[in-house]
Amino acid sequence: MAKNVKPTVSLTRSQIKWRVLWIGILLVFCALVVAPTYANKGIDWVNNKANLGFPRLPDKGFNLGLDLQGGAHLVYQADTSHVPDADKADSVEGVRDVIERRVRGGLGVAEPLVQTTKVGEDYRIIVELPGVADVNQAIKMIGETPVLEFKEQNNEPPRDLTKAEQKQLDDFNKQADKKAKAALAMSKTTSDFVSVVNKYSEDDRTKDAGGELGFINDKIYPEIYNWAKDHKNGEVGKDIIKSFDGLNIVKRIDERQVDNQTEFLVARVFVKTKQKADIVPPTDQWKTTGLSGKQLKRAEVTQDARTSQIQVSLNFDEEGTKLFADITGRNIGQPVAIFLDGQPISIPRVNESITSGSAVISGGFTLLEAKQLAQRLNSGALPVPVELISQQAVDATLGIDSLTKSFHAGLIGLLGVMIFMIIYYRFPGLLSVFSLVVYALLSLATFKLLGVTLTLSGIAGFILSVGMAVDTNVLVFERLKEELHLGKSLHTASEESFKRSWPSIRDGHIATLVSCVFLVWFGTGFVQGFAVTLAIGVLFSLFTAIVATRAMSRLVLKWFKEEGNWLFLGYGKHDSDVTNK
Amino acid sequence: MNIPFVKYAKYLLTVSAIVTLASLVLLFKWGLKPGIDFTGGSLLEITFSQNRPDNSMVEQAFSQLGQQNIVIQKTGDTAMIVRTAFLSENEHQAVLNGLKQKFETDTNKIREDQFQTIGAAVSKQLRQRSILAVILVCLSIVAFVAYAFRKVSQPVASWKYGVAAIIAAAHDVLIVVGVFAFLGHYNNIEVDIGFVVALLTVLGYSVNDTIVVFDRIRDNLLHRRNLGFSELVNAGLNETLARSINTTLTTVIPLSALYLLGGSTIKNFALALLVGIASGAYSSIFVASPLLAYVDKWQKRQAK
Repeated sequence: MAKNVKPTVSLTRSQIKWRVLWIGILLVFCALVVAPTYANKGIDWVNNKANLGFPRLPDKGFNLGLDLQGGAHLVYQADTSHVPDADKADSVEGVRDVIERRVRGGLGVAEPLVQTTKVGEDYRIIVELPGVADVNQAIKMIGETPVLEFKEQNNEPPRDLTKAEQKQLDDFNKQADKKAKAALAMSKTTSDFVSVVNKYSEDDRTKDAGGELGFINDKIYPEIYNWAKDHKNGEVGKDIIKSFDGLNIVKRIDERQVDNQTEFLVARVFVKTKQKADIVPPTDQWKTTGLSGKQLKRAEVTQDARTSQIQVSLNFDEEGTKLFADITGRNIGQPVAIFLDGQPISIPRVNESITSGSAVISGGFTLLEAKQLAQRLNSGALPVPVELISQQAVDATLGIDSLTKSFHAGLIGLLGVMIFMIIYYRFPGLLSVFSLVVYALLSLATFKLLGVTLTLSGIAGFILSVGMAVDTNVLVFERLKEELHLGKSLHTASEESFKRSWPSIRDGHIATLVSCVFLVWFGTGFVQGFAVTLAIGVLFSLFTAIVATRAMSRLVLKWFKEEGNWLFLGYGKHDSDVTNK
Repeated sequence: MNIPFVKYAKYLLTVSAIVTLASLVLLFKWGLKPGIDFTGGSLLEITFSQNRPDNSMVEQAFSQLGQQNIVIQKTGDTAMIVRTAFLSENEHQAVLNGLKQKFETDTNKIREDQFQTIGAAVSKQLRQRSILAVILVCLSIVAFVAYAFRKVSQPVASWKYGVAAIIAAAHDVLIVVGVFAFLGHYNNIEVDIGFVVALLTVLGYSVNDTIVVFDRIRDNLLHRRNLGFSELVNAGLNETLARSINTTLTTVIPLSALYLLGGSTIKNFALALLVGIASGAYSSIFVASPLLAYVDKWQKRQAK
């Protein structure tokens, strides 16, 4: 049979030698990638001796999965049911961002992986924390919903007053009360309000202007405003009015309309009272205002029309609009701080009372920073609750244990296969052992260079692919055996065997690769790890068996007699000669 | 050496049919024990630094903590795996602290080796994906086999090669399933995602094995026109016999190493692969090819 198949390849001797040399170079390269430690020692030694300054090889380890180095894999489901469809992806991205900052900053995990994924209609967030020791703490930190808060400067005392301090406060305020009553009595006896002001008022700012406060609305002095509403121009109050800073006797002078709201021009006699904060200064600089992410409708990146400065604009809902107007109203000229997760991210100064329910944070942002900030604010503004739906935590000790065990299993498996091949196939078996070494180093180097994450299942895939790598050699050697049986010369038989076993090898590998493709698509970590290493293994086994073993065979078979010898299973002219197998 | 496989095709196929049927019976009678990957729930592996308490004591401790219906499995010398219903993180911590209070002494510490919990949404997704992956792999393999044998359509149509290869592969998968139904019943071994992966790998591997044999038959069909189809099939089988056995051995060697040395996490996965690959080698010789010869005989009888 097969007389029509001629050995078509006729490489010259030197071409063959070059091929083997290239394979050798590849082998050395892979070995250096896989285990650079020894090479680096050598380089250091040379550098020390000869001072040549060779660069060291990158000493990067394998990318180990969580099951081999310990750590946690957490899957969160984001509850987006209250978010409009268009904003869902954005709000989940915001949550992702917050979680990433939390695990990086709060937990100090160096290389966390936080990604979002959409399964059907569900948005999920996958968090991988390699080497994290306290998973419970990590879960606690991640689980908090991002908190956005608006704070104003704090005037609250940090503690209750002592009795002596309380007495001091009460005495002071009693004096103030007396003084105010005296002023009130005087105001009832004279029509000259200014003289009362001059005699009694303690407000330095208004005293020189006859007590005139200017036009007021209901924001800053609501008590005075309310009084003014019910009285006429020129009228003077018959009672003492308490405001946040003291006691007032008020005269309404004029009124005007601004933005559909009435404002009143008033003058006052002011008697200062003391608050707790005047005696015990506050320790915390900021206090909560009640305005938080809950009342933020949305934040977005905008550009100032005039200065084209990048800024983040905020839109509040109805409740937020009202609160924000109050806060800005009572803090004109004062800073207001925006806190995210307890950290101030922006402290703008209030220029005017804002009643429109929108504000901008401008602070020299780059576009990226502004985007991130808007995203963070939105994630605070649209608190998407997350729920932990899956958790895999592996202790580092177990991880190392698994790594050693599977490493040993792989090594012993590889050695077992090598021994089997040499015993059964003799000299070609030895060649296949070299190919296996090339194969193993090539695969490992590829894992490292591509950054394939090695998991336990991945190592299993690699170990399985060792068996498949050998299969290719087995196919070729069985063919070689047959061709030798037919009495062909060693050289012809070898060429024929590679040529004629190729269709089976090709088809068989494709069948395995087809499974792998679907397994990779399958998606979960365990499966992907297995399928990726198996697929890489299957591809390289094609290369090593067809290219490496073949080149080596071509080189070394010349050293033997044409009909082969006992080193080759199946040598001899007749079938009857091969009874010793 | 020429073993007349095809001559005994009837008996070989009968044996395989019986084994497959038995697997099916086990599957329907006992079913597979689905693991937490598919049902949702939690898995806790703990190691005691010295003595492992009895299962009953641990069971009692769990029920005091409000966790009924748990499954305890001993692993290694001092470790155990406990499967429970879905535990929230708070419940998980409560269970862990409860166990520590009850069993930990100054010298006998508890270490939590691993904790897995899978919610209903994830397990549902995994179930759906598994089913879809199995269907897609099967379809694509049938298509591929039909394509690979498109040139050979005499005397048996190329799609029939594909069907024979798939029947052989289904036989292997069913045997693995049968073995795990048995193990699930007697040893509480559960099937997880790893099991599905093993099945799909076995599927690919079995078809790979069958293709090699069929390829030889295809080769013989083109080159030895003087022989009948049955003889060609038989010759192909004999010629690939050594390869089939050796390839299986070289795959079984590393897998055995993985099964024996690889640790508890990977043991069942390696076992499923071992059973499936051994069966795959068997079926490519004793199921797929005799089936092909049988189809030819049946076709000829029909023609007459």
